[in-house]
Amino acid sequence: MIKIENLKHYYKDIDGNEVKALDGVSLSIAEGEFVAVIGANGSGKSTLARHLNGLLVPTEGKVTVNDMDTMDEDRTWDIRQSVGMVFQNPDNQIVAAIVEEDVAFGMENIGVPSAEIRPRVDKALAAVGMSDYAKHAPHLLSGGQKQRVAIAGILGLEPKCIVLDEPTAMLDPQGRQEIVATVKSLNKEKNITIVYITHYMEEALQADRVVVMGAGKIQFMGTPKEVFCRVEELEKLGLEAPIAAKVASELRKCGAKLPKDIITEEELAKALCQ
Amino acid sequence: MLNNITLGQYFPGDSFIHKLDPRTKLLCTLLFIVAIFFANSPISYGILCGFTLLVILVSRLPFVMVLKSVKPIWIILLLTLCIHIFTTPGETILYQYSFLTVTKEGLELGVKMCLRLILLLLFSSILTFTTSPIVLTDGIESLLRPFKCIGVPAHELAMMMTIALRFIPTLLEETDRIMKAQTARGADFESGNIIQRVKNMLPLLIPLFIGAFRRADDLAIAMEARCYRGGEGRTRMHQLSYGSNDYVAFVVIFVLIFGLAFLRWGTKLI
Repeated sequence: MIKIENLKHYYKDIDGNEVKALDGVSLSIAEGEFVAVIGANGSGKSTLARHLNGLLVPTEGKVTVNDMDTMDEDRTWDIRQSVGMVFQNPDNQIVAAIVEEDVAFGMENIGVPSAEIRPRVDKALAAVGMSDYAKHAPHLLSGGQKQRVAIAGILGLEPKCIVLDEPTAMLDPQGRQEIVATVKSLNKEKNITIVYITHYMEEALQADRVVVMGAGKIQFMGTPKEVFCRVEELEKLGLEAPIAAKVASELRKCGAKLPKDIITEEELAKALCQ
Repeated sequence: MLNNITLGQYFPGDSFIHKLDPRTKLLCTLLFIVAIFFANSPISYGILCGFTLLVILVSRLPFVMVLKSVKPIWIILLLTLCIHIFTTPGETILYQYSFLTVTKEGLELGVKMCLRLILLLLFSSILTFTTSPIVLTDGIESLLRPFKCIGVPAHELAMMMTIALRFIPTLLEETDRIMKAQTARGADFESGNIIQRVKNMLPLLIPLFIGAFRRADDLAIAMEARCYRGGEGRTRMHQLSYGSNDYVAFVVIFVLIFGLAFLRWGTKLI
């Protein structure tokens, strides 16, 4: 549903030097897919995310969402309606002073009739498990709860795809689990395409496909198994493979006969017990 | 609803006054202010005071709490009273000391003016006590909408108020955090004279402002990502609607206005 063809994005920094944030990225994301994008700081993963709903437009190349070009200004709002975005800071994306009003915000913007908004708000809050907090003030919620409200606000627009730009970077471990679980259930139950940008490898394990970014380019991609067993290559890009994959790789170096595709702790434990 | 919002001075409840549409309350407050300026006799002031007391009773607000809202303007009241007492020329002199003369007319005028100010403040306090800031914002937006054609940015004003209401608690939290961080680095916010203290505030204000600008930027992008493009073609989840209570309130306030107008001018006509 999203096609990225040879996308380049350059901008000038404060000193006037040209920065190549994205330098030729091609990627296509199918409907219902759960794609995780990982990469070190400055690898261009957030810039890539902002191209997916037209917040940024390509310097060169092309991004299409359901065959709508993000450069086409007439379609901008259709694109943003079908590709929702959750940002890193849970505080800075909630607009209204009551949870349910905030969830309604997006729908009010696209002109959903008043009578229809109410049931859609309730549905969206139920989908992220926040129905009990409908009348709360956002500043009294935990980080994980705020992010779930932000997701609900997007669900109200009934998007085909949700892009999450490091949604867990400012959360505690519990909040992170809440978000990963919520996102996974949306992907499985509502068949919403997920593009999940993160620098936590454990979260990327949940995805169908992992895209590894570095220096504005896609370095390699594949299933979590294919990606995370390349421990050394990941390290070169400033990324750390999950601990189980690292242990397995070290053990192999010492001569242990372990299968190559160990990435979770359970798999490692099983292999060691044999 | 919203008993966890302490912003403003909203006092939650479900009285007749609380349940009125915010537009009704705003308009009635304006009409009451007009009514105050119709009053010129002791009887009409009595009626106004009685009416205000009645409204406070109906709204079931703690009486002392409403009265306290007059406290911040006591200096203005005192000044008004003094200026009127000492500067109004009149025939009946009650008291005289060198150049200060107190006349009966001056005393009357002073008391009247103060009473007007007090009533005005009490009534607008009842409005803010019984209406949550969020609902009030909706009311203001809806009342200002007809003036859009002469350039009143109704939607923008309401959006600004909503965002302010949303972010004031967040910014307060942040202020607290910065204050602690700067205190840990040896900043002193409590001692010294006024100029010294204002100077000491800089390490608090600068990070706060930078943070606020960053938030504003983030929020703008987040709003755009959620299809925000101004007030054009927007719908609302909660639509305001007038009920039978609102008509009752309007009838009451108009009866009050016409009553007072009659007391002022009508008696001469007969």
